[in-house]
Amino acid sequence: MHVDELPALGWSLEAADCVRRMDDAGIDKGIVMTIVDAPEVNPRALELIAEACAAYPGRLEAFARIHPWYGDEAVALLERALTELGFKGLKLHPVTTIAHPAGADTVRLIRIAAAHGAPTLFHCGDEPLTTPLAIERAAEACPEATIILGHMGGYFHVDEAIDVAERRPNVILETSAMPYPAKIREAVERLGPERVIYGSDGPACSPRIEVEKVRLAGLEASAERLVLGENAAGLLERVR
Amino acid sequence: VIIDSLAFLEEGLLDALDAAGIERAIVCPTRARGVGYDIGNDRVAAAVAMHPGRLIGFARLDPLAPGAAAELDRARGLGLKGLLLHPWEDGFRITDPAVDPLVDGAPVIVAAGFPWVSEGLQVGEFARRHPETTVIATNGAQVNISGLGQQDAELALETFPNLCIQTTGVYREDFLERVVARFGAGRLLFASGFPRFDPRLELLRVTWAPALDPPARAAVLGGNAHRILGLDAG
Repeated sequence: MHVDELPALGWSLEAADCVRRMDDAGIDKGIVMTIVDAPEVNPRALELIAEACAAYPGRLEAFARIHPWYGDEAVALLERALTELGFKGLKLHPVTTIAHPAGADTVRLIRIAAAHGAPTLFHCGDEPLTTPLAIERAAEACPEATIILGHMGGYFHVDEAIDVAERRPNVILETSAMPYPAKIREAVERLGPERVIYGSDGPACSPRIEVEKVRLAGLEASAERLVLGENAAGLLERVR
Repeated sequence: VIIDSLAFLEEGLLDALDAAGIERAIVCPTRARGVGYDIGNDRVAAAVAMHPGRLIGFARLDPLAPGAAAELDRARGLGLKGLLLHPWEDGFRITDPAVDPLVDGAPVIVAAGFPWVSEGLQVGEFARRHPETTVIATNGAQVNISGLGQQDAELALETFPNLCIQTTGVYREDFLERVVARFGAGRLLFASGFPRFDPRLELLRVTWAPALDPPARAAVLGGNAHRILGLDAG
């Protein structure tokens, strides 16, 4: 989920909105991150998320969205997030940074996250720099890292996202926004239910509809529990 | 009455509509491979003849194929009420001047949001050229999982009052709600996009949208399609 303030787009996404929509959907815990990156365009992006999580203890967990091109400054931000601020993962969105998923700066951050047991969540859709085959290069370069393909390939790269996850055991698929319930079922059948996690992309997207989308996939009850929460809980617990 | 403003005629259509509780649907041919659209248009006309109270037929054409205008005339004779243009699958740009002569005032659905051929503002430009025609863009006039096409879609809606958009695959609830708030519920139509999309999920984007009041929801679910198509009641 997202917490951020973006006047240029007229978007104001507050922690309270996330929690309200989680309540509507019967969701216990949400992972939040900004829409823009630290240190640019928001030098306070990490503090914004830390404050959101502090306001709702036990309900919100934090991922750090960081621009890989900021070199040592980016590394310091990530280290601080994972140690001092209690963040649980790294979020990378190459559409906003134009940093290739397998570029040296990006790989450096992924490896630092992995050293803390923290996963890296990529926006994974249909745009250049975000496709499953581009992110696969990062997964290949960092086999020790857990790489999450957010949106599991978007509209037209879902089959490739499942293919990549099948080839790369360190890749996990995240279901938000991707519009095909049947593809969630296919992913679970091909990868096993431990390799797929629920996401909402809320609060601007409907967490309730996104939960229902997983239910429409028609999974076994135990697999549905894994996808809707147990897998993600396991990822959060592994961070040190 | 819920009217699905775009489903493709394929095996399982009626069962899928039943499973979602959708009463009526605009249907059009799936992509023709190696044959002309006369075959698909005939199939749609036959399906409508079997289910006249349920299905509303739209023709589909490849505007650059020889005889496109004649096929449109033939399809009109079969009772097909509008036209689907799919620039991505059929390999043309919606702003190609060769498309313009096929627009005759009947509603046109454009498969929208595809890069280079049917971006939001390209569909808007097509709507500008045909101000008397209702142009309906699929997928919110933008297919992008980062929401990058939303600003162009809103610019197109703002500029061209004969442009409407469908809900299919639009995961951003705030975008759908903002479209209704800015341009009125009359500009947004529910569509299932069957079979690529799941009608059960697609319907929830409208029925569960918290910011739509009952009249707006009714318009999006079917009232708008009813008005645009000039359908009989029911």
